[in-house]
Amino acid sequence: MFKFLQQVGDYAKGTVQAAKYIGQGLSVTFDHMQRRPVTVQYPYEKLIPSERFRGRIHFEFDKCISCEVCVRVCPINLPVVDWEFDRTSKKKKLNHYSIDFGVCIFCGNCVEYCPTNCLSMTEEYELSTYDRHDLNYDNVALGRLPYKVTQDPMVTPLRELAYLPKGVSDPHDLPAGAPRPGKFPQDIIEATKAQEDSEKDKAEAAQ
Amino acid sequence: MNSGIDLQGTFIESLTDMGISPGLAKTMWIPLPMTLVIIGATVGVLVVVWLERKISAAAQQRIGPEFAGPLGVLQPVADGLKLVFKEDIVPTKSDPILFTLGPILVVIPVFLSYLIIPFGQNLVITDLNVGIFIWISLSSIAPIGLLMSGYASNNKYSLLGGLRAAAQAISYEIPLALAVLAVVMMSNSLSTIDIVEQQSGYGILSWNIWRQPVGLLIFWIAALAECERLPFDLPEAEEELVAGYQTEYTGMKFGLFYIGSYVNLVLSSLVFAILYLGGWDFPIPLDRLASWLGTSEDTAWLQVVTASLGIIMTILKTYFLIFIAILMRWTVPRVRIDQLLDLGWKFLLPVALVNLLLTAALKLTFPMAFGG
Repeated sequence: MFKFLQQVGDYAKGTVQAAKYIGQGLSVTFDHMQRRPVTVQYPYEKLIPSERFRGRIHFEFDKCISCEVCVRVCPINLPVVDWEFDRTSKKKKLNHYSIDFGVCIFCGNCVEYCPTNCLSMTEEYELSTYDRHDLNYDNVALGRLPYKVTQDPMVTPLRELAYLPKGVSDPHDLPAGAPRPGKFPQDIIEATKAQEDSEKDKAEAAQ
Repeated sequence: MNSGIDLQGTFIESLTDMGISPGLAKTMWIPLPMTLVIIGATVGVLVVVWLERKISAAAQQRIGPEFAGPLGVLQPVADGLKLVFKEDIVPTKSDPILFTLGPILVVIPVFLSYLIIPFGQNLVITDLNVGIFIWISLSSIAPIGLLMSGYASNNKYSLLGGLRAAAQAISYEIPLALAVLAVVMMSNSLSTIDIVEQQSGYGILSWNIWRQPVGLLIFWIAALAECERLPFDLPEAEEELVAGYQTEYTGMKFGLFYIGSYVNLVLSSLVFAILYLGGWDFPIPLDRLASWLGTSEDTAWLQVVTASLGIIMTILKTYFLIFIAILMRWTVPRVRIDQLLDLGWKFLLPVALVNLLLTAALKLTFPMAFGG
């Protein structure tokens, strides 16, 4: 009898606890309703891609020396380098170059290893087409520069979270010059230079 | 207590004055509230769909539908139109008759249950003497339709979803009926009008929330399960069963399920408001307020005000409950089927029984407070 009552008591305790947790959960969801949406209204607003964004690859035809390093470092040997040997100048002459972005995984190895820096990453990511063969970019398509989000009059550019001032999490209605947290690379260089100089001065003074 | 506005009486009276027989006049009256309620229910669904999308969006810090009409209010209309114009596919190896009959059997009882929903003293289609129990009995037809569509689709997910829906509906009907029974015992009547009437008098203080706190929770949990709302939406659990019994449905047949589920949600909230939140009652007793202000209860303008306030109160209470259901959706994770049946049979059923017994005991000891 006593054991049974204890069981009932435990069960009731568990029920009350569960009800409490559900209440806490409800208050959390209710609290979320008053917060500002974190979404970006995509075709009208766009995030500014970061400096290290790996988007569609840009290719400069005249810089290419047809070394095929990009093909060798590519996980699936994707870039197609069509060249022939020019006997008069005794150099490889590039005829065509193409990358199929329907297959590319944007790992950036080709950009990393290109000896003449003729390959580079852009911030273009809107690559959808109606036909997958349209994604096979030839050297002309690869040579086009993307349209910048910040220059598009139809689009409100928004900064990504890491580029917002300290403590701000909403990119809307930001004052124009608000700096991101942390130091910029040039600041760091300056600071280290100043520190080195002062150390040198100290060392000289000690001598 | 005055009887308020009697639209039916006035309508029939004015027609008989024009020389039409009373029987014919009554026949002419009948379709009017029916169409009104069907239109009301459908519009209610559109509102709920919009609310669901907007509140869900807010709870997830999104915006939700925004471009179809102001604040996206036309989004459910657009969804509905899309469903109407979609191709109606019947799978080759399905049972075409049962496949078509399924959604119909699910939707019709839900709409039929609106028969007994009062929006005011005389604003009800029929004041049946079985009252609230017609809702319970009609809601037990729906699982047959669900099972039918699940079986007829000839698809493992549909079948599993249909079986789960049937198991869930059957096991939660009992605590639901027991919770309703406790309320019925207090008001000595099954009629929804009487149930609301019994809660009026002292405004918010005389509502059943104070007298049936346990029954209210049992009713709400069971109603969520009956509507297949989120903590109990495992018949259509999209992560595991694709869409449960709706998997093979497209076009307007799917639309019927969709409408049915939302009408059912509105209906359950309405019934909850009637059983526990005093139906059309204003939180402050209006007749006392009127006598305090020195106006007679029979003044025409006061009656119009009380009647419209009654409708507004019913709808407000309903939408408050729907809001809670939607919030619940984004708060509580889905239960497993064994947990669901555990909760239904091992927890809700005994608690509902104890609640019923307690209500009976309280009714015998305090006949004043518990409707002796």
